[in-house]
Amino acid sequence: MAKILVTDDAAFMRMQLKDILGKLGHEVVGEAENGQDAIEKYAELQPDLVTMDITMPELDGVEALKAIKQKDAGATVIMCSAMGQQDRVVEAIQAGAKDFIVKPFTPDRIEEALNKVL
Amino acid sequence: MDTNQYVEVFLDESRDHLQAVNDHLLKLEKQPQEMSLVAEIFRSAHTLKGMAATMGYEEIASLTHKMENVLDLIRNNELQVTTEVIDVTFEAVEALEEMVASIAEGGDGKKDVSHLLAHLQKIETGETVAEESSENNQSQTTEMELDDYQSTVISQAKEQGYQAYNITIRLTADCMLKAARVFMVFEGLEEFGEVIQSVPAAEELEEEKFDQEFTVLLLSKHNETAIQERLHKVSELESVNISVLADLDNSASPSPNETESKESKQQDEKIEKEDNTAAETKQTTAPTQEKKPSTSKTIRVNIERIDSMMNLFEEMVIDRGRLEDLSKQLGNHELIETVEHMSRVSQDMQSMMLTMRMVPIEQVFNRFPRMVRGLAKDLEKDLELHISGADTELDRTVIDEIGDPLVHLIRNSIDHGIESPEKRKQQGKPVKGTLQLRAFHSGNHVMIEMEDDGAGINREKVIEKAIANGILSEDRAEKLSDEDVYDLILTSGFSTADKVSDISGRGVGLDVVRNKIESLGGHIFVESEPGHGSKFSIQLPLTLSILSTLLVTVSDETYAIPLSSIEETVALTNDQIMNVQQKPVMDFRGKVIPIVSLADVFEVPQEERTEKTDISVVVVKKGEKMTGLIVDSFIGQKEVVLKSLGNYLKDVYAISGATILGDGHVSLIIDPNALIK
Amino acid sequence: MEEISKVIVFQLADEHYAADIKQVSSIEKLEHVTTVPRTADFIKGVINLRGNITPIIDLKERLHIGKAEYTDNTRVVIITIEDIQVGLIVDSATDVVDIDPETIDDPPQMIGSVTEEYITGVVKRDDQLIILLDLDRVLNVDEINAVEDTITD
Repeated sequence: MAKILVTDDAAFMRMQLKDILGKLGHEVVGEAENGQDAIEKYAELQPDLVTMDITMPELDGVEALKAIKQKDAGATVIMCSAMGQQDRVVEAIQAGAKDFIVKPFTPDRIEEALNKVL
Repeated sequence: MDTNQYVEVFLDESRDHLQAVNDHLLKLEKQPQEMSLVAEIFRSAHTLKGMAATMGYEEIASLTHKMENVLDLIRNNELQVTTEVIDVTFEAVEALEEMVASIAEGGDGKKDVSHLLAHLQKIETGETVAEESSENNQSQTTEMELDDYQSTVISQAKEQGYQAYNITIRLTADCMLKAARVFMVFEGLEEFGEVIQSVPAAEELEEEKFDQEFTVLLLSKHNETAIQERLHKVSELESVNISVLADLDNSASPSPNETESKESKQQDEKIEKEDNTAAETKQTTAPTQEKKPSTSKTIRVNIERIDSMMNLFEEMVIDRGRLEDLSKQLGNHELIETVEHMSRVSQDMQSMMLTMRMVPIEQVFNRFPRMVRGLAKDLEKDLELHISGADTELDRTVIDEIGDPLVHLIRNSIDHGIESPEKRKQQGKPVKGTLQLRAFHSGNHVMIEMEDDGAGINREKVIEKAIANGILSEDRAEKLSDEDVYDLILTSGFSTADKVSDISGRGVGLDVVRNKIESLGGHIFVESEPGHGSKFSIQLPLTLSILSTLLVTVSDETYAIPLSSIEETVALTNDQIMNVQQKPVMDFRGKVIPIVSLADVFEVPQEERTEKTDISVVVVKKGEKMTGLIVDSFIGQKEVVLKSLGNYLKDVYAISGATILGDGHVSLIIDPNALIK
Repeated sequence: MEEISKVIVFQLADEHYAADIKQVSSIEKLEHVTTVPRTADFIKGVINLRGNITPIIDLKERLHIGKAEYTDNTRVVIITIEDIQVGLIVDSATDVVDIDPETIDDPPQMIGSVTEEYITGVVKRDDQLIILLDLDRVLNVDEINAVEDTITD
């Protein structure tokens, strides 16, 4: 069981992820609704894994990832992307994201990603 | 139904092949020794022959068959590439194009090609029946092919204790961002060594031009298990097959079972020895596969379907606008959040759909080399065409429309711009003229430039002509700047042809070009330096249908101003508006710019003109020039669907179209270019 | 004009006019019109006709017989001719009528105040005189452009 921080600006997406992660036996310890929020909650909660949406207001996911990685190089972050964000995803991987999942999510894909990175 | 579908595919592929023949022929003309070009042309002709025969288009089949024979002779060094060969092949391609076009229009694709057949027969000399003995040569080698350099790298690396691995990776069928996944694979592999080659090539992988599988050649000091474990960490990989690169012949088809490394060591020496022969051998032994693994998964979609999808989407954008309005009115947070999210998703969707409509301008440019070649011959000019930026993408609609204007401009340049070789010699210019055709992105626009090093535009001659044709008065002529004079040649009623030639003196002036470009929302500019040439620059919008705009109100009307031409919005107080020569102006970042009241320009009835303390101004720009537009208020930014005002209302002053807002009302889209003085 | 043709009859002031039903796509109530600046006076603006931007013409002004008065009966007759679609504002649209081509008379010199150039003929029906409009002429774009030119000059 891993402690997970879910980051997405849409409440609906957070709900869905929380649901799937819960069913896979993980614990969602926090939710962040933008990049800035994620950075703060990461420091506070020290989760095992972060799911990070890319397009968000305030601070986007890639920037947030970079900030988190800077403070904690060992952070495990999985990017959540939409179709057509190839370049941002590549940027995120270069910045140290461990994997990415593409919306719409399937529980199988999320399970695979978690197994690979944890 | 079914045969119809075949016809479509047949037509599409035939056009592709004809285009390829065309391109290769043009290259061959310049490099007549380049046998690979002959092979390519041969291959296209052969494919065409096969397709046409299957479809029962006998003329196409017999013509391509004859072409094939001649090409085969050339390939076997029994015949030289001569101008005659090139010319007749061009003619044959033209005939084939006509036949294909006829089929496309529902015809039977028949055409009398007997003279061409006879000509080809003559060239073929002595009825050599070169049958398909060389069939093998056409099978494409898509497997890993190593050139000398790479082979050397491998052998040197092996000396230093590296192992060469052939790794075939298969992505899961539902893998979405394939390029990003490939990137992760490469990143993983590079922790272990160096990827020296991949099939398909790295660029193609980046552009997702592959199906599910790709193969890389990795030099590494680590063992297979370590690499296997590392790749296991990457998601969405269906399978990973690692084999030690043993022998070049084997490398062509990586065996799923991992080859014993002992074996490979024994064969190391063999690699070096067989380097030179390897490539050749492989051509003949490469398995003839049904499907080329390097082809990406694409489908051909009828443009009409994309257009109707776009239309549906446009309706949705209108509803989206309505939803945005409603959710703001209702003030329910969850609703607002959901609608905002939907807006973002639909924006992504929109940009994807727009990219679907984007096509490289190559399609248009492709036909020019041959056309220029023909024109130059007809007009006895000597020139070279340089094309750059053919991969620049433009909206499909623009692509469809831009061809004719460009043809017109090119003809104009060759006819009037480029001088005859003798004249060029006299003037100390290189005998061969150059015509440059460039396409590139520039902000929200695509620029197409056509520049020649010809005679340039003769100011005096243009003025003379314009006066003679009654589009300019003598006293005005003197005051005109060079720019204005060049502009005259794009004006209707003007035509510069001294002598009526077959090429551009058909009484159709360049005004047609300008009208067309402007109807596409573009602009055309002319620059010229007498004696050195002229340049036509065409600025085109990237996409046509969806615009980012700022909505503003003037009295009861709401107008949309394209964001692309907005520099800034500012609020002025009354005393910040000054008058210069009775014309209102304002200071904008230290520059004095004119201001225009939209209410005045559009003659909007104003109920009462209260002296407002704050005046809302939208500063619009066109190149370097700026103008402030006074409006009543700003509503905000909005993505709108550009709709035409229809064919009844054409050329409305300063209005480029209309859009339907969330409330169902029509709002006009302002063309700020018309308002900038 | 051998066959019996159907026409839509509408009223302008007190007179009855008709348009070939083949050229009429629909009849609409007049809703929000967006003014298009610097166009001819008889062009009242554009409307959103189920997603299509459609220009609206005050037919009375176009025929130089006054101006539309907007009432509950005011209708917009949507005309489609080739690639042009416009709406004509009429005082009311009354009927669809069959007309036997035999009964069509040449236009007299002057009918009401509409010049004959916009008329293809007249039909007497009961005690009504129906004026058949030549919509191609009414919508002639060149003429509009000529009008526009004088305006922008």
